[in-house]
Amino acid sequence: MDKKTVTTISYLSRLKIDDEKEQKIINDLSNIIEFVDQLNDVDTSEIDPLANPLEKTAKTRKDIVTAKNLKKKLLEVAPSANEDYFLVPRVVE
Amino acid sequence: MTIKYKSIKEIKNMISHKEISNKEVIQEVFSLINQFQELNAFITLNEENSIKKAEELDNNPSDLPLAGIPIAQKDLFCTEGLRTTCGSNILNNFIPPYSATVIENLENAGCISVGKTNMDEFAMGSSNETSFFGNVINPWGKDLVPGGSSGGAASAVAAGLVPAATGTDTGGSIRQPASLCGITGIKPTYGRVSRWGMIAFASSLDQAGPMARTAEDCAFMLNEMCSHDEKDTTSLDNDIPDFEENLNSSLKGKKIGIVKDLDLSSLNNDVVEIYQNSLKEFESMGAELVDISLPHLSLSVPTYYVVAPAECSSNLSRFDGVKFGMRSEDVKDLEELYVKTRSEGFGNEVKRRILIGSYVLSAGYYDAYYKKAQQVRRLIKNDFDNAFKKIDVIMTPTTRGPAFKIGSKGDDPIQMYLEDLFTISANLAGLPAMSLPNGNIENKPIGLQIIGNFLDESTILNFAHMFQNETNWHMYTPEGIKQ
Repeated sequence: MDKKTVTTISYLSRLKIDDEKEQKIINDLSNIIEFVDQLNDVDTSEIDPLANPLEKTAKTRKDIVTAKNLKKKLLEVAPSANEDYFLVPRVVE
Repeated sequence: MTIKYKSIKEIKNMISHKEISNKEVIQEVFSLINQFQELNAFITLNEENSIKKAEELDNNPSDLPLAGIPIAQKDLFCTEGLRTTCGSNILNNFIPPYSATVIENLENAGCISVGKTNMDEFAMGSSNETSFFGNVINPWGKDLVPGGSSGGAASAVAAGLVPAATGTDTGGSIRQPASLCGITGIKPTYGRVSRWGMIAFASSLDQAGPMARTAEDCAFMLNEMCSHDEKDTTSLDNDIPDFEENLNSSLKGKKIGIVKDLDLSSLNNDVVEIYQNSLKEFESMGAELVDISLPHLSLSVPTYYVVAPAECSSNLSRFDGVKFGMRSEDVKDLEELYVKTRSEGFGNEVKRRILIGSYVLSAGYYDAYYKKAQQVRRLIKNDFDNAFKKIDVIMTPTTRGPAFKIGSKGDDPIQMYLEDLFTISANLAGLPAMSLPNGNIENKPIGLQIIGNFLDESTILNFAHMFQNETNWHMYTPEGIKQ
């Protein structure tokens, strides 16, 4: 874990790290990664990963429309919207 | 006539015998909340609506199971028309257009949602110190943390402000604060309670459950919280038993697994003694102790701190300042809108976990960390599967010690992560687990953890209820921070 890695993952995370906090974050992340590195002590070569304790794939339900149209309610809680869309800064000049 | 420290059933009886009106119950709750404001247990109150609902119940009495019972809802459940922050600045203005299934279930059973409880930001914390809305105080001492992340819920129940509260548990967030505040709480089997409308932290670990003073009240609440929900693809459609039915079953011949691999030497001596006394109590009720081995248990915390951040970094990508929640001002383009909103909206612990999650999921590291952790997760689950072939429950202390002082874990995230040493494995394996008070250390409560087999909440509630029939640790109350 170094400055370059932290720059990359903060970009992937869309987070800006303040300069004065950067060293502390590098240290914290290094310690956490070192802590989880003890997982390497176990041989897992023959073990299937477990993503979910139920080990079931998502169930399907009957193809019936149950969703209510919440468009108006959802646009109302948006930080910026008109009658039909969420509004964001211009992306196309 | 007061409802303070009364159980759900006692309050129901008081209402049905007209010893108190529904409105008086709710008025007392808000008067208590007000009196104990410095606990900072609530983020948002629902006073006007609650009084209105109580008045309606006085005019038209209802025989619904939770009619008129005041419940505090963790601020992680979406509540239609009532602000839901998840303890974060990024949601500080969010008013959901719908309610979580758990909230709907409880309200359909007649309960009154009196307010939204404080919590660690996005449920990431074990002391309630990461909340944007400030620390919650443990009623057992004004310099003590209540635990986390359901710290506001635990504090409110422990102070007698409400008889019960909802919590959520991703790595111990119901059980650890229950232990530190001297109350009872249960995390059901993964899939038992719908996650729809719960703000997601780590989707393969998150599960909602009740927090109350007794196992009996937890069973009563759980009966109403569970449902099969088509809106949550991991919601189980197995039969849901009546959780009250088995509470008084005899423990004679039942087997309690004692984990040989658990290193108790690092614990406070008093914790070990209290734990062993509880085991003796169960033996005197006819239960047998059986040594079991969970060889990969010590890897639970490192496994969790790969899996949970990975899922969190993915889940929290939805907070971008576009569709709901806060949006930062003065941005020149869309990219800056995302970055500035997220950087200003999230606190340090949440950022730390998003960064770790992005790291372990990023190209080149995915197999080394994320896949590896999922493989170890299977080994942990296999250990439990093997152990439960010959036992009914597993018992451990819930926490390494009683409530610690606010600020005492300093700035070292790993010290805080180790708080959940005993609780995390149940989430990784998807098993039901609960905590109940079983002793006091220097006038601070501590809890016993009971882990059950898959879908076997009834048995752990049975053990807990029988223990509470024989002991009175669950009846102890803090002297209070304001007399």
